[in-house]
Parts: sequence; structure tokens; C-alpha cells
Amino acid sequence: MTTAATYFEDVEVGDVEVGPAMTLTEAHAALYRGLTSESPDGSGQIPALLPLVLATGLGWRTPRAPLAVLAFMSFDWTIHRELRVGETIHGRARAALKRSMREGGVIIEEHELIDQNGDVAQSGRFVFLVAKRSAARPVAPAPTA
Amino acid sequence: MTELRRYYEEIEVGEEYESPGRTVTETDIVLFAGLSGDYNVLHTDAELMKTSIFGERIAHGLLGLAIQSGLFMRATKAYATLALVGLRWKFKAPIKIGDTVRLRARVLAKRDDGKPDRGFITVQRTVVNQRDEVVQEGETDLLVEKRGAAVGTAPGAV
Repeated sequence: MTTAATYFEDVEVGDVEVGPAMTLTEAHAALYRGLTSESPDGSGQIPALLPLVLATGLGWRTPRAPLAVLAFMSFDWTIHRELRVGETIHGRARAALKRSMREGGVIIEEHELIDQNGDVAQSGRFVFLVAKRSAARPVAPAPTA
Repeated sequence: MTELRRYYEEIEVGEEYESPGRTVTETDIVLFAGLSGDYNVLHTDAELMKTSIFGERIAHGLLGLAIQSGLFMRATKAYATLALVGLRWKFKAPIKIGDTVRLRARVLAKRDDGKPDRGFITVQRTVVNQRDEVVQEGETDLLVEKRGAAVGTAPGAV
């Protein structure tokens, strides 16, 4: 059985994926704080890493099939400004680099989380080990964010 | 009055903390899939994952990152954190259902840009499992309030 996925060979450097938007709510913040045991502060602040967590799901909802990720290896992330309840973000990802390896290949994506005004609130680079179509394993499809 | 938070001046390079352990459960993974919308089979299909190199479902990498940010708050007295401004992070090994993780943290560097009310603190973080294997590690850059600064803030996790 194979699952629809975007394999290493399918990605070209320069490809851009733009995800759907999501409004950040008090419910998202409360669920996240419950899971992580962070204290609520009642100020309408969105926990700094929560938008990134939501964007991984938004990445699934792009027209392209999810990237056939074998491993999420590392990422660098910069938070340009705090986000608050009621703001709306969407993700934009660009394939910046591909490197073929024996077991799959490494893809580096540049990601941006963009707010309702079109400004970048958070951004960084993700490094994925991605399966090759030629050596497709039954375990793979992962979010592109 | 006893201060509830530690300010930039009070935090010293080389300080080390270790958090309590936290067992990562199936419930954590299911809730995180629901919250994030990330239903990757790696985290949600027990049968398929039996045939994978992992042999079972694994936690989302970002769930481990989120859990450690909460563990940081339980590892030491809260910093007067204004914001998390950046991080560099590596996922070294999977976290499986039933694994117990803890955070080891060390203050790596301080940077004072001459602002009267704030400075940067870089914390090195290592997430280990019950076998003392490193599952995640990285560095986080925090913007921390200086003592006496008239800026309101909440206890920061991150």
C-alpha cells in the first residue's frame, strides 16, 4: 500500500507552498498550556511556539500532498513579534536546498508565518530527511510545515 | 516581598537546572494531533507504524519541544521573560508512548545591548529519556527583563 505523498524527486528548489489561514483563539492557547503545563497569564498572549505547532497542521492542508518525511532533523526559528488572541496567521514555505543521499534526501525549507496584515511574525528554516520515490517506504507522509 | 521572578542581572552564565520527569502518553499525542492538525501516520496509525523502523507510533517532534518548554518552568524559578526570540533545535531520537523525558538546561550566554530594561539570555537545553539518551537538544534565546524595569510581564515558560 502506498499513501499519496510528495517525494524527494517531486520537490524542486524554489517551489513555494502557501497554506490556509487560521485565527488564533483562547481555546488554542488553553489547550496548548494544558498540554505543556505552562501557566496561563490571562493577557491574551499566544504562547510563542503555538503558532508554529498550528502551522504544521496548516501545512497538511495545501494542495500538494504531504512531504514524505522520514525524519524532522532540525530547525532554526526566529520570533519577530508576539502574536495575540484574535490574530490570523498562515504559513508560506519555500524549498531552499536539496541534497540527495543514499537513504532519501535532505530538503531545507524556508518557512514564514504571516499575519493578517501580511507581515512576517515568525520565520526560520526546517531540515527534513525525505523519502525517495524510488525507495518509497510505507511510512512517511508528514506535514510540510 | 519575595520576588517571584528572576531578572536579567540575577541569572548567571553556567547555571544548570534539571526538571522533574514527565511521561509522554498516547493522550498527549492524540491531543497534540487534534490541536495541530498534524495527523501524520507516524503519530496516528498504530498498525502501519508496527511495520516501520520505529515499531510503534512516535510523538510529534514539536510535542517534545512544547513539553520541554513547560518543564523549564518546573526546573527553576521563573525568569522575568519578556519573549522567546529565537531557537536552534535538533531532533535526535524519537519519543515513544510511555517514555519519560526530563529537561537539562544550562545558561550559555548573556548579551546586554545597553537597553536599560532588558537583555538577552541564551539557554542550552537537552531533553533526555529514561535511559538518559538525548532525544532533542538546542538553544533558546530569551529576552529577559532587568530589575526595576517598569515593564509588565507574565512568568515566561518557553
